[in-house]
Amino acid sequence: MSRTVLKESRSQQTLQSYLDALLQDAVIGLTESVSQDEFQAAVLEEQQRDVQRVVPLRQPEPVQARTVVAPVVAPVALEPQPQPLLELPPELAQRPVAAPVEPVAELLPQGQTPVGPPAQLSGQPEWGEEPFECLLFDVAGLTLAVPLVSLGSIYPLAGQELTPLFGQPSWFLGILPSQAGNLKVLDTARWVMAERYRDDYREGLQYVISVQGYEWGLAVHQVSRSIRLDPKEVKWRSQRTQRPWLAGTVIDHMCALVDVAALAELIASGATRHLKGVPS
Amino acid sequence: MKMTSAQGSDDPVLQWVTFRLDNETYGINVMQVQEVLRYTEIAPVPGAPSYVLGIINLRGNVVTVIDTRQRFGLDTAPVSDNTRIVIIEADRQVVGILVDSVAEVVYLRQSEIETAPNVGNDESAKFIQGVCNKNNELLILVELDKMMSEEEWAELESI
Repeated sequence: MSRTVLKESRSQQTLQSYLDALLQDAVIGLTESVSQDEFQAAVLEEQQRDVQRVVPLRQPEPVQARTVVAPVVAPVALEPQPQPLLELPPELAQRPVAAPVEPVAELLPQGQTPVGPPAQLSGQPEWGEEPFECLLFDVAGLTLAVPLVSLGSIYPLAGQELTPLFGQPSWFLGILPSQAGNLKVLDTARWVMAERYRDDYREGLQYVISVQGYEWGLAVHQVSRSIRLDPKEVKWRSQRTQRPWLAGTVIDHMCALVDVAALAELIASGATRHLKGVPS
Repeated sequence: MKMTSAQGSDDPVLQWVTFRLDNETYGINVMQVQEVLRYTEIAPVPGAPSYVLGIINLRGNVVTVIDTRQRFGLDTAPVSDNTRIVIIEADRQVVGILVDSVAEVVYLRQSEIETAPNVGNDESAKFIQGVCNKNNELLILVELDKMMSEEEWAELESI
């Protein structure tokens, strides 16, 4: 078997088992090694179960989102068809290390003000009640989807150095000076795949995606494309006691939908210190 | 001659002595710095805590030298020509901290200082007072009094 095929089948298995683990909380008796058909059957079963079970949504607590004024560099036109989201200008790779990094893309949808949506730690979030745009990105081979409305800018890490701070948890990579201010960067892989994290996942991080309204950014390996999702295409998590940043699963794309605003709110509020399952 | 911070201002200018450790620049309040010494031989003290490198003789006074790298969770590094011992006053004690090099005194307004993230449970994070962008560089401002716990400061006194 060629190396490429082997790598692809391994990443598929990793993704499969990861998504299966997500559903194990709700689907009883679902084993870890589940075939594609069994996975979809389990999702349908869970949807039917949710219809029968009425779970009142907890009223979201008002969150004072900090407005981050980001300079408009190059507004990105969001296309319904899959397209490469950005292309790095070659000169960005040669910027001096000390200069504040400029974003390569602004992810503000048209008509949106630069204030993030209120964080909601259970149920279907407000931004998921209508069709919404998502950005797909890659973290250590795992594809994740994030609602565009929650994102700010994309900053390249090429030629940049993060300033580490001692005494911080391992998922805190450091501070990235940017035009919008000092961005605190977290290791996304440590959050979304803590149980199978490897130290070499820190290599190859290429971009930091800032969270709208927060001073936090997610370090990722690749940024893919934007897609438009209908709320029905998502298996929403009704309970987010564990992994409150995980909003649900995008069924057709076989990827997790991350509520980055919830994650940033958790971190900014200091709740991560008392939350179970938080990577240390 | 030490300058005092601006009086009667809502946004006082503070002076910070900056030093380098492991390619990062840290700042400490100039009011706590007594002097900066070139590296001199440090006599180890048997039974001293691991964060104590030893003691030096400073004009007839015994001064305990703290391993700053260990306090900051950094790996050890060899001594170089730029290595310095910064004599500071913290928690009513005079101690020395070993640093890779001493840079300069910078002037920072209170408004320029951003609070550092407080997301971990590690005690060592608590003595990061804040961060500041200066001269295209990020300074990590350290609150020396919180560098050690009350018990550790008391233990230092008995060395």
